[in-house]
Amino acid sequence: MMDQVRLQAINSVSGPSLENPQLQQFKTNEERQKLINQQIKIQSQSLGLDEPWYSPKKLFNGIYKILTLNLGNSRFFTTYNGSNSVNELILEKLPNTILLFTTSSITIILIGLFYGTYLASKEGSLPEKFISGLAATSRGVPDWWFSMIMIVVFSFFLHIFPSRATPLSSPNEPGYVLDLLYHMTLPFITLVIIGFSPFVYYVKYIVLRILDEDFIKTLRIMGIPKKNILYVHALKNAGPQLSTILGLGITASLSGSLLVEQIFDWPGMGNLFYNAITQNDSPLIIGLGYISVLIYLLTRLILDVCFTYFDPRIKSGET
Amino acid sequence: MAIKLIKLIKENKGGFIGALLLFFLMIMTCYALLFVSTQSRLQWNDPIFWSDNPKTAAPEWFNIILKPFGYQLPEHKIFLQKDAIVNTLNDIDFKLENNTFSYQFDYNEFPSSFDIPYTITLGEIPPILEIYVKRPDNLEFKIYSNSLESVNSLQNSEDSSANSVNDNITAPTLINSNTVSGRVFSSSQEVRNSLSEYSNIFKFPISGLSSEKIIYSQTDSNTPLKGEYEFIFSVYSFDSDTILQNLKLVIQGKVFGLLGTDEFRRDVFFGILIGTPVALFIGITVALSSSFIGLFYGLYSGYTGKKAGTFMLTIIDIFISLPTFIIFIIISIHFGRNLLFLIGLFILFGWPGVALLNRTFSIQIKNYPYIEASKLMGESDFKIVLRHIVPQLLPFTLANFALSVPIAILGESALSFLGFGDPSFPTWGQMLQEAHASSAETLGYWWWIVSPGLMISITSIAFILIGRSLENLVKIGKRR
Repeated sequence: MMDQVRLQAINSVSGPSLENPQLQQFKTNEERQKLINQQIKIQSQSLGLDEPWYSPKKLFNGIYKILTLNLGNSRFFTTYNGSNSVNELILEKLPNTILLFTTSSITIILIGLFYGTYLASKEGSLPEKFISGLAATSRGVPDWWFSMIMIVVFSFFLHIFPSRATPLSSPNEPGYVLDLLYHMTLPFITLVIIGFSPFVYYVKYIVLRILDEDFIKTLRIMGIPKKNILYVHALKNAGPQLSTILGLGITASLSGSLLVEQIFDWPGMGNLFYNAITQNDSPLIIGLGYISVLIYLLTRLILDVCFTYFDPRIKSGET
Repeated sequence: MAIKLIKLIKENKGGFIGALLLFFLMIMTCYALLFVSTQSRLQWNDPIFWSDNPKTAAPEWFNIILKPFGYQLPEHKIFLQKDAIVNTLNDIDFKLENNTFSYQFDYNEFPSSFDIPYTITLGEIPPILEIYVKRPDNLEFKIYSNSLESVNSLQNSEDSSANSVNDNITAPTLINSNTVSGRVFSSSQEVRNSLSEYSNIFKFPISGLSSEKIIYSQTDSNTPLKGEYEFIFSVYSFDSDTILQNLKLVIQGKVFGLLGTDEFRRDVFFGILIGTPVALFIGITVALSSSFIGLFYGLYSGYTGKKAGTFMLTIIDIFISLPTFIIFIIISIHFGRNLLFLIGLFILFGWPGVALLNRTFSIQIKNYPYIEASKLMGESDFKIVLRHIVPQLLPFTLANFALSVPIAILGESALSFLGFGDPSFPTWGQMLQEAHASSAETLGYWWWIVSPGLMISITSIAFILIGRSLENLVKIGKRR
C-alpha cells in the first residue's frame, strides 16, 4: 500500500511540467520523456521500489524511517499553518485530546476517590445500591451512543450547548481559550457521567476490603477518628490496586476517544483518525496507528515501573 | 420448592431482571426469524420498497405525548385506488375518467408533501393525465398535466426507474412494452410551475414557497386552510385499451409507525426487528468461541509448565499489549467488510484475556495434592485435565462467557458505526452510523438514535446482569 503511494508521488512530482528548466533544452517530446523516465527510474531504484519486500535496501529504509519517526506527508489534510507532514498534524491535535481526556479523567478520579470512600462507610444504603446498579449498567451502554443522546437533549431540545465541539475561532485569536473551554463543556460532562460510576464502585469495593482488615480495628481502638481512618489510612493502602485500574483506564480511553471525539467533532487525535479513515488517507492512518500503539506501550511500561515502585511486594519476573 | 425458587430470585435480583430481558430478546428473535421472510429482509436497502413511507417521521405515539401542549403533528395517510370515487364521461372520441380522493385536513401546521404514484396500461394513442386540487373555499388548482407522448420513445426502463423515486423528477417510465408508471411529487418543478399561474389569487407573494404551502394556504395570509380537500386525477384516454391500474394518494405525514422512520423512509421498528437475530448471533458466537478457546489454551499452558507454558504465555502477552481497536480498524480497511471476517477478528482478539485468567487458575489447581495423587496413580495428563480441572473452571467460564457477550456486541456496533460493518445485514450499529451520517442528532431525529442504541444497551445490560449473578453463584459455590 505504501509503495503504491510512493510510486504515485514520484510519478506526479516528476511529471512533465513546463517550469522544469532541464526539460527546456530538448526539442522533441521523446527526448523529454526519456529524461522523465530516467528520473523516475533513479528515484525508484534509490527507494528500492522495484525490489521484493525482503530486500535489505527496503528493510533498512523502513526501519530507519520508523526509528526516526519520519512518518511522511498526508495526502488530504493540512495543519492550520499549511503543513502536510503527519508529525505536525499529530502534534497539532494531540494537545486537544490530552486536554479533554486528562481533565475528565482527573475529575472522575477525584469524584471516585472521595465519593467511593464515603460510600464504603455507608454499606447497604440507597445511594450505594444505586451506584452499584449504575456501575453495572453503564458498562453496557455504548458511550458514543450516549453522547449522541446528550447532543440531542442539550443542543437540540434545550439549546444550551453547541452541537459541534469545534471552536469557532482560530488558534491565533485572543478569545480562543475561552471558546475552546465553552465547546469542551458538553463532551466533558458526557465523559464524566459515563465514567464515574464504575470507578466509584471499584474504589468502594477495594476500600471495603481494606476496612475488613485487622489494622483498621487497631487504629479504631487507638482512638483515631473515623474520617481520618477512611481518607488517610485506607486510601493509602488501596493505592497499588487503584493504580492498576487507573492505568487500564487511561490506556482504554485512547481507543474510546475515537468515536466520542468524532461525534462531538472535537479537534483531537481521534477525530483526525476518523477523518483519515473515511478519506482513506494511508500515510496518516499508518502514522496515527503507529503513534497510538507507541503511546499505549509507553504508558503501560511506565505504569509497570511505577507499580514496582509503589508496592514493594511486587517483584519483576514473577508469574 | 416454590419457596426455594422465590429465595433464589430475591437473592439474585439482577440476574432475574437480566434473564427477563434476555427472554424478551429471544421472543423478538424468534418472531423475526419466523415471520419475516428472507425477501423482505433483503428489501432493507431497496428504496422502492419504502417509497410510500414518509421521511424522518416521528413515532405515532408522539402525538399522544404532545396532546397536553395542544400541538399535533399531521398523520401519514395512504389512499388506495379503491378509496377514490370514480366517475367516467364517455364520448365518441375520448373517455374521461375522474378519480377523486377526499382528504380532511384539520391541523395547525402545513403537511410535509404529497405524492401520487400511478400505473397506466397504454393502448395505441397515449392518454393525457391531469391532476386538480379542489379546496374547501371552492378554488380549483390544476397542478399537473402530462400527455405521456414522450414515453413511447423510452426504450430501457433501468436507468430511469432509479429516477422515479427521486424527489424532483416525475418522468413516467416504461415498465414493459405497454405499461407506464410514474410518481407525481408535490415538490417537483412541474407542480410548482403550474401553481405559479395562480399567483394573482393570493394576497401574498408565493414565488419562494413550496407547493404544499401554496395549496393548503388561505388566500389572504399564509396560514393553513382547514377543511375538506379533493384531489382529482383525470385521465383522458383516446382508445379503449388504456386502463388506469394502480393509483394511490400518499399524504406525507410527520408521524408514522411504531418507532418512526428514517431519512431513507425505512421503518425503524422493522430494522430493529431484523437486527436482533444478527446481534445475538454475533455476540453469542464470539463469546462462545473465545471462551472455549481461551479455556483450553489457558488450561494447557498452565498445566504444562516450563518452556512450553511460558512460550504460550508470551503469545498471550503479545496479544494483550496491543490496542485492539486501532488494529481492528487498520485490518478492516484493508480486507473489506464481511460478517464472518468480523466475527473471526473478534475471536482472534478475544481469547487471550480469558486464556490468561484460566492459566492462573490452572496453575493454582495444578499444585493441589489430589492432582499429584492422580498422576502417581498413572492417569494420563489429558484425563486429569478433563476430569479434575475442567469441572472446577466450568462455572467460571460460564460467567466469563456471559460477560464477554456485551463486549462483542459493543465492539461490533462500534466497528459498524465507523462504517466497517457488513452492508447486507442491517445491524443496530449500522442504523446508528446512518443516523450520524444524516446528522440526526443535530436535526433532532431522536427516535432514530434512541431505538437502536437502546436495544444495544438492553442486550448488553441483560448479559452483564446474568454474568454478574452467575459470578456471585460461583463465588458462593467456591466458599463451600
